[in-house]
Amino acid sequence: MIPVRCFTCGKVISGAWEEYKKRTKLEDPAKVLDDLGISRYCCRRMMLTHVELVDESSPYY
Amino acid sequence: MKVEIIELGDRAAKFVLSGVAPAFVNSIRRAMLAEVPTLAIDYVNIYDNTSVLFDEQLALRLGLIPLITDLDSYVLPSECSCGGEGCSQCQVSLTLSAEGPKTVYSTELVSADPSVMPAEVVPLIKLSERHRISLEAIARLGTGHDHAKWQAGIACGYKNVPKITISDECDACGMCVDACPRGVLVIADDVVKVVDERACSLCRLCEGVCELNKIYDVIKVGTHPDSFIVTAETDGSIPIRELITRSAENISDRAEALDGYLSVIDMEMEMDHHAT
Repeated sequence: MIPVRCFTCGKVISGAWEEYKKRTKLEDPAKVLDDLGISRYCCRRMMLTHVELVDESSPYY
Repeated sequence: MKVEIIELGDRAAKFVLSGVAPAFVNSIRRAMLAEVPTLAIDYVNIYDNTSVLFDEQLALRLGLIPLITDLDSYVLPSECSCGGEGCSQCQVSLTLSAEGPKTVYSTELVSADPSVMPAEVVPLIKLSERHRISLEAIARLGTGHDHAKWQAGIACGYKNVPKITISDECDACGMCVDACPRGVLVIADDVVKVVDERACSLCRLCEGVCELNKIYDVIKVGTHPDSFIVTAETDGSIPIRELITRSAENISDRAEALDGYLSVIDMEMEMDHHAT
């Protein structure tokens, strides 16, 4: 799961994750992040570097 | 002291504070980050959790959800008349139960007080087939001193108002204009002009690239020592206007308290003086 808040500044960024994931399949991540109002580079790296692993582990629970 | 508002939204603000000492601006910043209380989930009773996250991970995610807080109707547990045991004055209970397959969002929390609601739609956990969570969460007031989840202010900071001076020796070669990463300088009518002084990040790259600067002081980046550009943002639990005013109130309250302590010490010293 995406962390609820940015590690550095504490902005709640998890709400933007699902839209980010969907839109970056077609669009440029930089534009999507600007659209979603994620302006600082600390928050932007939260999205850019996140690897979603829930679906990998959920069959074993 | 003068305040000039540049931007004022619901969650973010930018303003210029002039005629103040750096220590005062810094105390405002620190009060916004650590002194203004907000509600956050602090205690969780987990009745059932067969999801992929451990109880502790789930509790952490719950704690980080910003809750809309009416600071006039809640008090800190340490200052409550119940003595911190927990009553309707100092805590709120929120319940959550869900069964997969689905993604559970913060908006599914059912609050005992309808005015206390999650301020953001946060995906808490993705549940698959047969996964179930059922829990009761207790939200309490707290300050950023104790945990970042109670921090109402986000990315609060300030910088001195920049002051860029260009002397008559400038030959308008344009090196500084190309070097500036913020686009603060332009060439107009064969002279270098400053278009957006406040956007300057004080990096002084323009000073470095200027060839004439080695002989004269042609371009100089300085600051107004008693003016500050303050930027502040909240997590949504309280509006930015309230955060700023409450942090200012907090400073004056603490200054008054300090004054009280000092007068007690003064009185005691005087009494000692008379006794000897």
